Amino acid sequence: MSEASHRAQPPRRDFFEKVTGSAEFISDVVVPGMLQGRILRSTIPHGRIRNVDVSAALALPGVEAVLTGEDIAGLNNHWGLFLNDRPVIAIDRVRYVGEPVAVVVAVDERTAEDALDLIDVDYETLPFVTDAVEAMAEDAPVLHEKSETLKDFYFKGEAKPVPGTNIFQKYEYAHGDVERAFADAGRVFEDTFSFPMIFHYAMEPHCVVASFADGGLTLWSCGQAPTAIQKVLSRVFDLPLAKIRIITPYVGGGFGGKASVKIDPLVAAAAWKVGRPVRICLSISESMLTCRRLSASITVRTGVRADGTILGKAVRVVMNGGAYADTGPAVAIKAANRAIGPYHVPNLKLEAYAVYTNTVPGAAFRSIGGPQAVWASESQMDIIAGALGIDPVELRYRNMLKPGETVRPDLRPIDVDMAEALGQASQAMSRLDAAGPDAGLMKGVAVGASDPGIMAVAAVLVRLKIDGSVLVISNSVEIGQGIREVLRTFAAELLNQPAEAVYVMTPDTALAPFDWGTGASRSSVMMGMAIEDAAIDIRRQLADMAAAAFGVAAETVSLCPGGIVAGDRQWPFAELLHAHYGIDSGEVIGIGRISPHSRDGRLMQAPLFWETAAGMCGVELDEETGEVRVRRYVSVADVGRVLNRASAEGQDEGAAIQGLGHALSEELVYEDGQPVNASMIDYHVPTIDEVPEDFLTVLIESGTGPGPGGARGMGEGAILPVAPAIANALASRHGIRIRDLPLTPERVWRALQEKKAKP
Amino acid sequence: MDATERMMLSFTLNGRPVEVDVEPSDLLLDVLRNRLGLKGTKRSCDVEVCGACTVLMNGLPVSSCTTLAADADGQTVLTIEGVAQGGELDRVQRAFVEHAGMQCGFCTPGMVLATTALLNVNPKPDNAEIRHFLRGNICRCTGYIKILEAVKSLV
Ligand code: FES
Ligand code: FES
Repeated sequence: MSEASHRAQPPRRDFFEKVTGSAEFISDVVVPGMLQGRILRSTIPHGRIRNVDVSAALALPGVEAVLTGEDIAGLNNHWGLFLNDRPVIAIDRVRYVGEPVAVVVAVDERTAEDALDLIDVDYETLPFVTDAVEAMAEDAPVLHEKSETLKDFYFKGEAKPVPGTNIFQKYEYAHGDVERAFADAGRVFEDTFSFPMIFHYAMEPHCVVASFADGGLTLWSCGQAPTAIQKVLSRVFDLPLAKIRIITPYVGGGFGGKASVKIDPLVAAAAWKVGRPVRICLSISESMLTCRRLSASITVRTGVRADGTILGKAVRVVMNGGAYADTGPAVAIKAANRAIGPYHVPNLKLEAYAVYTNTVPGAAFRSIGGPQAVWASESQMDIIAGALGIDPVELRYRNMLKPGETVRPDLRPIDVDMAEALGQASQAMSRLDAAGPDAGLMKGVAVGASDPGIMAVAAVLVRLKIDGSVLVISNSVEIGQGIREVLRTFAAELLNQPAEAVYVMTPDTALAPFDWGTGASRSSVMMGMAIEDAAIDIRRQLADMAAAAFGVAAETVSLCPGGIVAGDRQWPFAELLHAHYGIDSGEVIGIGRISPHSRDGRLMQAPLFWETAAGMCGVELDEETGEVRVRRYVSVADVGRVLNRASAEGQDEGAAIQGLGHALSEELVYEDGQPVNASMIDYHVPTIDEVPEDFLTVLIESGTGPGPGGARGMGEGAILPVAPAIANALASRHGIRIRDLPLTPERVWRALQEKKAKP
Repeated sequence: MDATERMMLSFTLNGRPVEVDVEPSDLLLDVLRNRLGLKGTKRSCDVEVCGACTVLMNGLPVSSCTTLAADADGQTVLTIEGVAQGGELDRVQRAFVEHAGMQCGFCTPGMVLATTALLNVNPKPDNAEIRHFLRGNICRCTGYIKILEAVKSLV
């Protein structure tokens, strides 16, 4: 529900395909002659592979090939984004339950599935460790004997592993003198919080079709970062980038679980082995064994004066990165940064570790490291408020950064007014309370500030056709966020053409220029800027043509719907292009390129913009069962500019309800090295009956973002405040302070009993 | 069981009679998607939890991921492809489009069909009834707020 007036905006064009079932998703793609692959996965958390016997599987009619680690000896068979630590398929060793050990390729999925049972793997088990803190102990089994870092490979920078240990990222930062600040502070609070592994559950499982032909490789992929996939495959198969083509149809959700690179090298290797196109579509249970959010243990020490002023803060983050690093090194850094909060912290010390364990590899997930960090830091804000007898909202105001002040001196000053966002949240909640019948709800609040990790590398092609239709070609992946509509809106606006004339192409690396990838709330801003430049490029070309053809002054030429104007004269595109080309055909191609040097270097400083959120909840607790219900929720975000209100609100709402799942139920559980709830029967995500009855999204349009018209990225912030807001609500009424997520009925009930036992 | 043992099914699919030979263990979802080419029905959880594979059998929602194709014999099945008539969206589809009740769209076919079934059995559901009935259809993208708005607009 929104209070803002709905602008008359036509619905997203992709909705028409999606609502009729005609939208082609990656799992719907059929490539002529394709075979189907199924994956045999490790059943043990850590061990050596002594032997894989595939003879019986190969003998099954319909089975075309079986890929194992032996087959890939001649390839560059390891890959990674920060560390070159991951085999395309297990070679000699497995490091987690679920790791791919063999791929059966057969005429259909059922035959391939049947053949999996016929493969015999002989393992020699090794000691394993699934907990990050245990994995840092001296006597812990070490998962990777060597570490080869890849500098500036995907993200800028490089991981700092600690050789000979499971630590694959160690990050430190400091300003001021935090120990001195603690000595000066009236009170120093130290609290440790834990955050579990969480599964993305994008509803469409991972799916890739790979085909080698004409000396090259074509992939239909679910990946959010086509050019990263292209780069990794180029190295694995020693193919020129120009011979690798990644096509990305509609993808049924990602949330980071399809970012960087996931199953693409494995599927490509299967196709390479069998010499025919191969499709592998995972089951959801297999997607659960493919990636998950990094779990974390976060200790926050905060020194405050009696009036609540923060003098210093020290944060120590230990993240469980799973068996392979993926983008875990970046997640650890972000978790540390995002634990600071939108507060003035004159003395700061950050320390973050990401650690290998024998669990599903960690990966990016909506606001990487953010929910983990904000869970800790915003829970502690209320602990401090309670101890000092200050209202929690007031404590936040007292420490809040004003726009233009810095979180860290080396980061871009905060470019949103967080106090305003918090104020809007309080007001919106008051309005809900005034309208709603039940005033007895417990209230909790939290805010979050995150620094999106945006690489300022993007480009777009915009082709204006003689008939006035426009084709936008980019590698931005439509994963549900509505990017195609955003690009359409920008192109229409910046070229002054009707939106109906603009079409956005399915991403295809053979046609679209390099783009870093879709994620980190970046695409609308980066591609928006690229389209700005492409539009300038098109205008200039048209102006030059008009000057030559019609003798007008080039600088007076501008675009109007369907054509150009100069002074009081107007020509349709057809007339101009006809005059220019001599035939009644043709087009003008504009290119927009963004690099760190664009916009006078203003894009160089990180972050490109701040993504923030304020959340306020009204909660009910059943003291008999410990069940928590969120009845009211207010989510406030400064999005710079609203391009499409329904889409923007939807992003915010979706993030908040994912946050609700994080808060109340979601957790991937390990026992004895085995994931025990890796199926949707046992893993509960929010259903429609759990949504707060009163939910209000407030979008602030400050116009201060770097994108066209002041737009900034969005879609990640609203997930941040949910869990701490709920925990803070419980603490405010019942005096229970829960430091571990999720807030399951059992956990809450136990906390209540403990509280009653020793009040 | 002999893998070559097959059976012939005939049922009404989206208003038209179809015949298809299947194995007794074939799932309705696979037959719709792979044999009949109707890819609008989606597979997600495989275990009757998410509703992405929802189709209507005789007007009632079933999870085609756990329904044998054989059970469709002689029945009337509606998939998302059969909802719009003559290229015109029906009112449930229109409501989802107008209220932006989707993002990635992977849950949408199931949501539209479940909503259709709800309104068939209960044309005027209240909020609690809507929330209860659609509990078996997960959407991971929207947070359900806009889906609820879409459904309420039809009541
Ligand atoms: S795929 Fe059938 S209910 Fe989820
Ligand atoms: S729109 Fe993506 S799951 Fe519902």
